[in-house]
Amino acid sequence: MVKPNELREGDVLLALEDVHMYFGRVGALAGVSLEVRKGEIHSIIGPNGAGKTVMMNCINGLYRPQKGNIYFKGQSILKLKPYERAKLGIARTFQKIEVFRGMTVLDNIRLGRHIHLKSGIISGSFYIGKAAREEVEHRAFIEEEIIDLLEIEHIRHRPVGMLPYGLQKRVELGRALALEPELLILDEPLAGLNLEEVEDMARFILDINEEERWKVTCILVEHDMGVVMDISDRVFVLNFGNKIIDGTPEAVQSHPEVIKAYLGVEDLYATRR
Amino acid sequence: MSTTFLPCGVYHENYPQDHAWWQTKFVKGKMILLFLLVFVVIPLLADAYWISVCNQIGYTILGALGVQLLIGYCGQVTLGHAAFLAVGAYTSTLLILEFPWPKFLIDWGIAYPISIVIAAVVAGIWSVLFGLPSAKVKGFYLILTTMAAQFITVDFVITQYVSQIGGRGQAFSLPPGTIKIGPWVIDSDQKVYFMMLILVIMCVIGLANLLRSRAGRAWVAIRDNDISAEVMGINIVKYKLLAFFVAGFIGGIAGAFWISNLAAISPEHFPWFWSLWLVGVILIGGVGSIHGAIFGSIFMVVVMELLQLAIMPLADTYPKLLMDFLFIKEAAFGLAICAFLIFEPNGLAYRWWQIKNYFNLWPFSY
Repeated sequence: MVKPNELREGDVLLALEDVHMYFGRVGALAGVSLEVRKGEIHSIIGPNGAGKTVMMNCINGLYRPQKGNIYFKGQSILKLKPYERAKLGIARTFQKIEVFRGMTVLDNIRLGRHIHLKSGIISGSFYIGKAAREEVEHRAFIEEEIIDLLEIEHIRHRPVGMLPYGLQKRVELGRALALEPELLILDEPLAGLNLEEVEDMARFILDINEEERWKVTCILVEHDMGVVMDISDRVFVLNFGNKIIDGTPEAVQSHPEVIKAYLGVEDLYATRR
Repeated sequence: MSTTFLPCGVYHENYPQDHAWWQTKFVKGKMILLFLLVFVVIPLLADAYWISVCNQIGYTILGALGVQLLIGYCGQVTLGHAAFLAVGAYTSTLLILEFPWPKFLIDWGIAYPISIVIAAVVAGIWSVLFGLPSAKVKGFYLILTTMAAQFITVDFVITQYVSQIGGRGQAFSLPPGTIKIGPWVIDSDQKVYFMMLILVIMCVIGLANLLRSRAGRAWVAIRDNDISAEVMGINIVKYKLLAFFVAGFIGGIAGAFWISNLAAISPEHFPWFWSLWLVGVILIGGVGSIHGAIFGSIFMVVVMELLQLAIMPLADTYPKLLMDFLFIKEAAFGLAICAFLIFEPNGLAYRWWQIKNYFNLWPFSY
């Protein structure tokens, strides 16, 4: 008997069941089902406005779907608030960078440790004994595991708002990693990066997914087809709130609907009703 | 604000060194000199008038710290902080005057310290009550709900009901000798001054420690980006209310401290203008920095006193100047804020940070 929090590789970590999400009369998601297995990189692609980010917001609780259910490690998380889902181990990065611009890089990443820290306002205001020791322990974790992995040693004391875009994206990834999540949602981590930064970021994602230390399951929302097809284990194609196909990169690339909806065909106007 | 650059040749070898407050010998020496100045030099050299100015500064610092926490660190704009000062002051006064203290507690002089703690907690809880709307509203709307705190607390509850306790009507007078800490009766400006120093130091240390631990980071995160703060596992409603509690707590301490400097306390000591004044203080000192609350308080109080001194000699020729001094003060307050917003929007604390870095990096500032 496997306990719900001790999933093995290949077990279903996250499942969306027939999720409907409407904004007024506009349907953003029309009955989407998705299964993300532990240990894989599951990419979600689709044209702009397909509902990818809405889907991510449903998973981590910023939106609550009107119909359907979401299961994380076998239990329904539909009624949980975003911060409660974070405590279960769901972390994410955003399409538009949402870092804490006034804080230093180090403080941003420290903030990611929030759910692992214990000091309250009384012990925090004295900052002796346990509260101070805790800060040092977590500082060591941050320095050795995250800052070292993401190669941001040189900017650790800089305010994030003053950094270039590519580094801000990296800090945001570091902040999400500091949660030590089981499921990491990456919403367009490569958007707006130059070629070198894209390669770095793809390498970081693979490291996080494959290294024994991390083994984080990733959901990757991305438009860069080259990277998506190279690093994903499975690809899910979404179009106007409907699933087109969920399969291996090879199966997706050769699927006629995908080519029509996403990659475009010459007789597009002829096929449109 | 980002961390200060270390001078050349200073290296940290472990994390506690990097987490320490005073990281170099120079800073330690400077702080010792500062303590010598405030604990020895000022009480020895300053006359009663300047000591009372210092007390005014300390009171403003205590009030501004709470406002700084709410506006500067947690991003919850408040325009009703004087209400929590009033709650602190009235709780402490009522406890001293009306509570049936056992005789020995009064003899030992513990009644007033206990009343300060209770006043702080009561003001904190009262502040949480008016912080509840922050769960739903932000920005301009929150300003109005916090203004409601001022009008409900001071103009309604305190003026109409609390002031009537004991049949006194408007003001509670504090007979000499009621304010007593241990063996010391707080009856001179000098004693108030030392009490002020200790309270300010305690509050500054407590707040600064909070800001470098878990709760403080959560507050700054809520200020910078509340959506991603929630996604990172912060219960934002809880932490907003905690910020209101801590701000009210410090406000309660400020109010309970200030009664030691007053012969009588009445609702007029806590007008809405005082709430606005505290916001002005942190705007001038620098939003989002504890230094800002301190520099802003010193600047505002000293400038107002200098203004008064400057007007005195003119009063013989233009007696109207003295009559209208209150309006001149308000005009100067407005002008100072305008000037700072235009010429130094980051406040005095930013200037201070620049100066420090200039000397730390000198002569190679790149």
